[in-house]
Amino acid sequence: MSELYTRNFCIIAHVDHGKTTLSDRLLQQTNTVSDRVLTAQHLDSMDLEKERGITIKSHPVTMHYKAKDGITYKLNLMDTPGHVDFSYEVSRSLAACEGALLLIDAAQGVEAQTVANAHLAFAQKLKVIPVINKIDLPSANLEMCIKQLEDILTIPEEEVILASGKSGIGITDILEAVISRIPPPRWTEYKQPRCLVFDSIYDSYRGVIAYVRMFSGTIKAGDMMLLMSTGQKAEVKEVGIFMPKMEKIASLGPGDVGYIVSSIKEPSDIKTGDTITLANKAATEMLPGYKEVRPMVFCGLYPIDSNDYEKLKAALGRLRLNDSAFVYSSESSVALGFGFRCGFLGLLHMEIIQERIRREHDVDIISTYPSVIYKVKTYAGELMEVDNPVNLPDAGIIEQISEPTIKASIHIPNDSMGDILAMIMEKRGTVDHTDTLDANRVMLTCALPLNEILVDFNDRLKSVTHGYGSMDYEPGEYRVSDLVKMEILVNGDPVDAFASIVHRDKADGRGREFCERLAKIIPPQMFKVAIQAAIGGKVIARDNVKEMRKDVTAKCYGGDISRKRKLLDKQKEGKKKMKQFGKVSIPSDAFIQVLKNQ
Amino acid sequence: MTDLGQDKHRSGPPGLKPLDQGIYVHVPFCSSTCDFCAFYQIKPTAGAVDQFLKGIEAEAELIPWRGPISTVFWGGGTPGLLSPDDLDRLAKIIRKKTVIQPIEWSIELAPAWVTKARLEVLRDNGINRISMGIQSFSDELLDGLGRQHTPKQVYKAYELIREMGFKNVNVDMMFALPGQTEAEWLKDLEEAIALKPDHISTYCLTFEEDTALWIKLSEGRVKLDPEHEAKLYEATWEKLHKEGYQQYEVSNFAKPGFECRHNLSTWKMQEWIGLGPSAASQHDGMRGVNPADLALWSQQLNAGKRMQEDRRVLTADLLLEDSLIFGLRVNQGVDLAQARIRFPDANWTFVEAKLSTLESEGLLKISSEVVRLTNKGRLLADSVGTELLGLGSD
Repeated sequence: MSELYTRNFCIIAHVDHGKTTLSDRLLQQTNTVSDRVLTAQHLDSMDLEKERGITIKSHPVTMHYKAKDGITYKLNLMDTPGHVDFSYEVSRSLAACEGALLLIDAAQGVEAQTVANAHLAFAQKLKVIPVINKIDLPSANLEMCIKQLEDILTIPEEEVILASGKSGIGITDILEAVISRIPPPRWTEYKQPRCLVFDSIYDSYRGVIAYVRMFSGTIKAGDMMLLMSTGQKAEVKEVGIFMPKMEKIASLGPGDVGYIVSSIKEPSDIKTGDTITLANKAATEMLPGYKEVRPMVFCGLYPIDSNDYEKLKAALGRLRLNDSAFVYSSESSVALGFGFRCGFLGLLHMEIIQERIRREHDVDIISTYPSVIYKVKTYAGELMEVDNPVNLPDAGIIEQISEPTIKASIHIPNDSMGDILAMIMEKRGTVDHTDTLDANRVMLTCALPLNEILVDFNDRLKSVTHGYGSMDYEPGEYRVSDLVKMEILVNGDPVDAFASIVHRDKADGRGREFCERLAKIIPPQMFKVAIQAAIGGKVIARDNVKEMRKDVTAKCYGGDISRKRKLLDKQKEGKKKMKQFGKVSIPSDAFIQVLKNQ
Repeated sequence: MTDLGQDKHRSGPPGLKPLDQGIYVHVPFCSSTCDFCAFYQIKPTAGAVDQFLKGIEAEAELIPWRGPISTVFWGGGTPGLLSPDDLDRLAKIIRKKTVIQPIEWSIELAPAWVTKARLEVLRDNGINRISMGIQSFSDELLDGLGRQHTPKQVYKAYELIREMGFKNVNVDMMFALPGQTEAEWLKDLEEAIALKPDHISTYCLTFEEDTALWIKLSEGRVKLDPEHEAKLYEATWEKLHKEGYQQYEVSNFAKPGFECRHNLSTWKMQEWIGLGPSAASQHDGMRGVNPADLALWSQQLNAGKRMQEDRRVLTADLLLEDSLIFGLRVNQGVDLAQARIRFPDANWTFVEAKLSTLESEGLLKISSEVVRLTNKGRLLADSVGTELLGLGSD
């Protein structure tokens, strides 16, 4: 079959705009998956993804569709991750396509993420097919959606397809549009074989399996392949496509989307965005857009029970196999014992990994305050990168500290403009420009220090805008800033895991707030416990943990002794689950709570 | 202490005081369920009462009776709703097994069931201590607990009890009821004191699983306020002390000489024989509880079995641990010298280390080998108990 009859496309959408349901409909319509096998949301296979309605790993699938022109086309649908933390992954999935369905919820309209991803698609020169989904919702507002598409993304009304993934409206229109509007595979003329790695998974029997989009030439089992970013060679063991399960085929040709099993066993050797060519017919230029992915957010993860250290280590190792963006190395803390310094693409990525460690690997963990990478310059001219406040050198030798910023685009309703501007100010951000999206909404383009949005920015944005605000960001430049290390002392002893790097102007407020919150979260103790915040040994804020006054059980007679013992045993178990800091018991989730309940 | 006489089984090392031996009878009948109560109780049908009394008789036959019984306690449930004839029948079963007249024989009575006929039967069988559940004199607060009597019934019942010659009367009161202020509680307490009882128990309302109150708590209809409760405890201690009632346990106060000997024995880890469904026993080297089910209890008795649940062998470590956990709730404290004689083989190194930590935290005081909780420690007795766990755990 000629590559002229192949179409490669993806679906880009905001969270909850119905991407997965629509994908399932397409699989159904093309008989790729029988109705019986089609569980709700077929493409998202991780529980956590289903629960949160977001896709973390891409799952491509090949469909065959007999179009109205009588020809059967091969359609490769790429699923894309749906969150800002994974924008590089999104861009690689887009790079593997010639077209994209831009999905918009008929009731919600265009969101920040939709704009961001649409721009990514335009940048990849993809043909964008706008689809307004969920048109059968009572709250659907087609007029608004169409106007937004025109105004914000300059997409003409005539191109819009109306659909409902839920009830199957417009599915045929979409498939026909994919064939007629999206061009056949590009760059097939290139002389040497080239394919793009857009994802990979680890299989304990077969090693690393690369998910690839073939652009030119063919690759088959037995070939010696070459990874262009590193020059590493490996033997191809098997190639195949996704139907949606992996199915072995003889060779991958131009335009194909499939997988390559090779002799590579080490997950970090296969990098998303890399180009694979063949050793004996090596290409000279890589496919465009490759980047080294670097984690932006760091925190320490520690087992609550120190006996679980090995179990945690194994869990991190297994998670890393399928997620090369996640990095870790061992570290130790006076307060928390032995654990790991972990790096993540962003906050959601961090939350997901923590949740998977708890849930899938059954290790109770405790997390320290998240940090970004600070660049420190000493008077001696030494340059260092610090991703853990504990490692910040003595203030006396630091000439300057720079911190990473982000470029954010924030979509908000007009009436929350004042609150959001105040919040951006509070977070030390600057607004570069303001664009009107429609009668009710504006888009702010601003620069913010990354460490200011680490914890609560997105939550507050949602709450101030009653859920209507959305944000997308990309990394910005490093800026010199007046930063200091703030320590937190519990009962006089600094708890290294609570240390953070903050802007000097905000230290007082942050310290006060932190002490107050921590004092509330630590359950009443049998004696007075002070919580203090300090900079360079000078206390800047203080609060007290409530003293426990009464826990005695009133009735306790002969008949109650067995019962009472069970009660005390239960209390003792509860206490065991807490971390002991000297005489103070801190619940293991206090760190997360301190960060979240602001 | 009265010399009870000892047989071979119960004599211990030289210097050890002989152990008290008591009987507890659980009478599982109630006409309705109070919101705070988690005890086993059922409706008193004629058939059930007969099955119960036959069971008590059968259970009594399974016990290797040794030596005299110093105390008897009938609790429930509502023992007082048994008819005078049934009370007489129950008393006769017990009297067959007590060698001499017990020093103290208590019954719990609900005001609504106090009649002259019942009190006569009780008095004539040697019951010499009445414990009456009042809880509160406020109609509103009583309603909130699902209680079944009025303040008027309380006064009538109390008067009748005294008229019939009972010289040792306790009243049960409850505080920290939902919506109750400190002033309201003190007023309630004053009304109880005005009756001039010999003994007063004041119970801070406890939320136990499987009660109507617990459900209210989990639904957020009532709230816990430990700080408020602590204040009420302290106010209670002060008030009763002023009125001549000595506190001798967390919730118990008495005029001198009227402390409940039965309960003191259990807190000091003496021995007691529990009869009836859900009754707990501790004697002959074993601890165990009867099933909280009339039918199952009868069935096990027919098979010659009792105290089948939560069975534990009484080791020196377990008994020492419990002597401390429960004994420290008693104001008199725990006599370590006696305990060393009684439990020479226990892990004293552990106990001494724990006690000294708790002392450094201001929760207890040790002087001339007697450990007592401080007032602060008394309010935190559960934390103290939790710290002391570890010796006798499985």
